[in-house]
Amino acid sequence: MEPPNLYPVKLYVYDLSKGLARRLSPIMLGKQLEGIWHTSIVVHKDEFFFGSGGISSCPPGGTLLGPPDSVVDVGSTEVTEEIFLEYLSSLGESLFRGEAYNLFEHNCNTFSNEVAQFLTGRKIPSYITDLPSEVLSTPFGQALRPLLDSIQIQPPGGNNIGRANGQS
Amino acid sequence: MPHVTARTLRMAPSGCPMNLLSDKNISSNVTRVTVKTSGKQQDFMVADDTLVRQFKEKLSAHFKCEMDQLVLVFMGRLLRDHDTLSQRGILDGHTIYLVIKSKHGPQSVTHSFRKLPCDEPDKRDGTIKGNSIGLHQPASMSQTPLEPPFFVKPEMSKVNIQNLEVDSPGHMAQMLDNPSIQQLLSNMNLMRQFISELPEMQQLMQQNPEVSQILDNSEILWQTLELARNLAVIQEIMQIQQPSQSLEHSQNPQLHLGLETIPSEDNVLSQSHAGFSDQIPNNLHDIFGNNLSKVLLPGKVPEHVQSPPSSPPSQEQRDPLPQLPTTRVIYTSSCGLSSANTTPSRMNHTAKVNAATASTKDRSHKCAIQQPVEVPALPSMITQQEQTESKDDISLSDSDQRLEDDLQLLDEQTNSQITRNVMQLLMSDPCLAAHMMLFMSMPQLSEQWRQHMSTFLQQTQLSDLLVTLANPKALQAILQIEQGLQLLATETPVLLPWVAPYLWGLGWLPGPSCNFSDMAPWSWDVPDMIDPKGPEFCHKSEAVLQMLHSEDSAHSLQAPEIRFSRQMESLQAMGFGNHHANLQALIATEGDTSAALWKLKRSQGF
Repeated sequence: MEPPNLYPVKLYVYDLSKGLARRLSPIMLGKQLEGIWHTSIVVHKDEFFFGSGGISSCPPGGTLLGPPDSVVDVGSTEVTEEIFLEYLSSLGESLFRGEAYNLFEHNCNTFSNEVAQFLTGRKIPSYITDLPSEVLSTPFGQALRPLLDSIQIQPPGGNNIGRANGQS
Repeated sequence: MPHVTARTLRMAPSGCPMNLLSDKNISSNVTRVTVKTSGKQQDFMVADDTLVRQFKEKLSAHFKCEMDQLVLVFMGRLLRDHDTLSQRGILDGHTIYLVIKSKHGPQSVTHSFRKLPCDEPDKRDGTIKGNSIGLHQPASMSQTPLEPPFFVKPEMSKVNIQNLEVDSPGHMAQMLDNPSIQQLLSNMNLMRQFISELPEMQQLMQQNPEVSQILDNSEILWQTLELARNLAVIQEIMQIQQPSQSLEHSQNPQLHLGLETIPSEDNVLSQSHAGFSDQIPNNLHDIFGNNLSKVLLPGKVPEHVQSPPSSPPSQEQRDPLPQLPTTRVIYTSSCGLSSANTTPSRMNHTAKVNAATASTKDRSHKCAIQQPVEVPALPSMITQQEQTESKDDISLSDSDQRLEDDLQLLDEQTNSQITRNVMQLLMSDPCLAAHMMLFMSMPQLSEQWRQHMSTFLQQTQLSDLLVTLANPKALQAILQIEQGLQLLATETPVLLPWVAPYLWGLGWLPGPSCNFSDMAPWSWDVPDMIDPKGPEFCHKSEAVLQMLHSEDSAHSLQAPEIRFSRQMESLQAMGFGNHHANLQALIATEGDTSAALWKLKRSQGF
């Protein structure tokens, strides 16, 4: 039996605050945050991420955010592109619909974590997934929670997976 | 702490009760694995040495899908059938990911926007294959994008729509019989979205803005959907109506017509419905069906489809499609439609009578609608009576050529077999082509179109009589007269002997002078529906022709030669020796000598 193909899986990490969080967080939150992290999974030469518009894909680094601030190697996977897309569409119908987006509970990092585990069995670094709880544990975060809850992030530049293009 | 339940496959060799097994599972043969799929997860108890294949069997039974649809992923590795779970390192408490492939597989990322959400594996109720449901024009649609929310609906279960090309009406009918499809079709909003989103439809809409108006009118759409739902019945009707003529392909076009040109046919529907009360459209359809089916598919008209009840759509949607090709398709589709809408109880003239009596408003419209009833019968009469029949055939073939050119254009647009079949139909039967042209001159179409039609007819050198018929007022007058007589016949049967001569003329009663045996193809056999009071349809065309002439000249039933004899003499005296041309000119100008003079001069190049 021939060895199965292994495809590398990468995690693209973007700082949405572009460095502001690192500077201002001690003052505002009382603790140091290195960044406000947005992540996406890159596999099969495509970048996949979750936003308020559902699961999207684009060429790696193809969102308006530009190139990632850091890249984490998650591992490798045997999952082929075909199976992966099937999986993504089923996710997009069930767990990761656009309406399900929530900045704290169910955001892009949740998605990246889920996909990373599917692809490689490994989770993404904890500093990313711990960010919401970090913020909410500060009084400032608590105070701003209602406002922050309503924030919906959708990096422009991707194509939606799992629903008709251009249709709402 | 994992609890081993009755789902274990094997007892521990020591014979201990299950709940004494340790957490480490070293001595245990069973593991509890979590299977995660499409946002859900479920625990399964399996033995360590279970083959992946066996596990897949279990899963396929549980998730109700085929085994080869299952893909198991653990730690990023695909699980092969011949491995055992323990070989892959699957231990207690581990999570295995399950992907259930759809039968057709997903699209690539770049085409994901066209992906059928129903292809997704989590809809384990059954895969939904893409469909050329028939509510759009191209017969070769293989993929149709559909809104995801629709398939999230719980009541949609086990819809199997084939992802294939519509190539046989039987197949379509079979598909339409599926009650799920019926349900689908009955969902107005969905179908509207569905139709709007088809790229072909969008293309069509760009070319014909009226189409989008159709889609916006929910009533028309609803009628369309009703029709589509009943298409299976229509097909039966078509099959029964198969005449001895070589219309073996009419079955296809009829069904395809209904299926594939519904959007364009709706224009005709909307036009015909404009301003009518609820009753009238039913009657109109009957009338259409009566006569058109008589024309197209002679023979007994059997049971029918219940004509779609309709309410008048908004008036502004009556703009006709100015393009000739599309209108042709409209006609052919409305043929299919109206044939299907006949009701056996109205197969004969009681229908007309009912129509006359039932209609209380918009009589002029009614007259207009009834015109094509008589009109299509005329050309057959004319072409048989005319000495220049060969000329008509030639001219008709010219027009057919033009039709064919236009239809080829349409063909490219719609990619369907309909026009080809229709063209063959037309070629084989020039009378039919003439009928079509007259049908086109229905006054429901706008003034613009009518003028276009008159010009067109003249250009193709069809009989001048036909050109005359394009005159809406003339047609209206004919219908009014006939209406009045019908009314008399039904309301006051005692007057029947008095009006009988006129009715003979109209063909409502079997007259003594019915000697047009070659009109047989166009006459009905309605053996079981002879209403003693009402008229029996017989040789109407001859009578209407006479009516036309009588309308011109003080109700005398005379041939134009006799009628215009005076004018003819004048023309000849002036030096126009071509007897036939004179006659033609006089007919066209209805006896106006000076106008005929101008006409002759023009045609002779002065």
